[in-house]
Amino acid sequence: MKSKTKPILRILHIVSWIIFIGLCVRAGAILYSFFVSLFLNTGGAKNLYAGLNLSSLFMYDRVQYCIVVSLIAFISALKAYVFYLVIKIFLKINFVHPFSDTVATLVSRIGYIALFIGILSIIGMSYCEWLGRKGVDFTDLHQFMGAGVEHLLFAGVIVFISQLFKRGIEIQSENELTV
Amino acid sequence: MPIIVNLDVMMAKRKMSLNELSEKVDLTLANLSILKTGKAKAIRFSTLEAICKVLECQPGEILEYREE
Repeated sequence: MKSKTKPILRILHIVSWIIFIGLCVRAGAILYSFFVSLFLNTGGAKNLYAGLNLSSLFMYDRVQYCIVVSLIAFISALKAYVFYLVIKIFLKINFVHPFSDTVATLVSRIGYIALFIGILSIIGMSYCEWLGRKGVDFTDLHQFMGAGVEHLLFAGVIVFISQLFKRGIEIQSENELTV
Repeated sequence: MPIIVNLDVMMAKRKMSLNELSEKVDLTLANLSILKTGKAKAIRFSTLEAICKVLECQPGEILEYREE
């Protein structure tokens, strides 16, 4: 392995940890503000997390509000889980024998979860657009539920890589069993 | 796999142990064991050449095709 690759991977590992923690905090904060807005202070819906204002939806219908916030929190939690899997890959990967079943499973799981996030985001955005047509105002929602198509593209690439990885495992085992 | 490795038969004929063979052909015991037990997926010509040289035999005496 090139001398530059190891420091880059180390930096990526650290960045993955930071993003994972950030996404966990985001999911937790959204859930916390959600419960506060429901049971303690209705004004909490004005700023659920980093400017996410769902007060208009809160006034419109509480059930719809619960659905949208649950969806946003669930998507954030899934994104955090993706980064948790990325961290696990960094911990498990061995560059002498890089193709292992564990890493292949993790890569394909990332692909399928990204696919799920993409589908959920598209459904969520369509749902919010439908609510928007009924007069509900959404601000800054795109950064929490947008990028559905990007996630689908990401999922496609990752699933493709996971298939390549499976072929890599076969080649590696063949190479190891060549005397 | 229908390819049978008769390394153990040839070793017995030449009265040679696995340790001795591994030293003479410069292969690890683990790799020779993979070959002997039929777990190997491929064999290099260089390995086959070294084994044939040490055991004084032909490749056909080590490898055999048997239909399953």
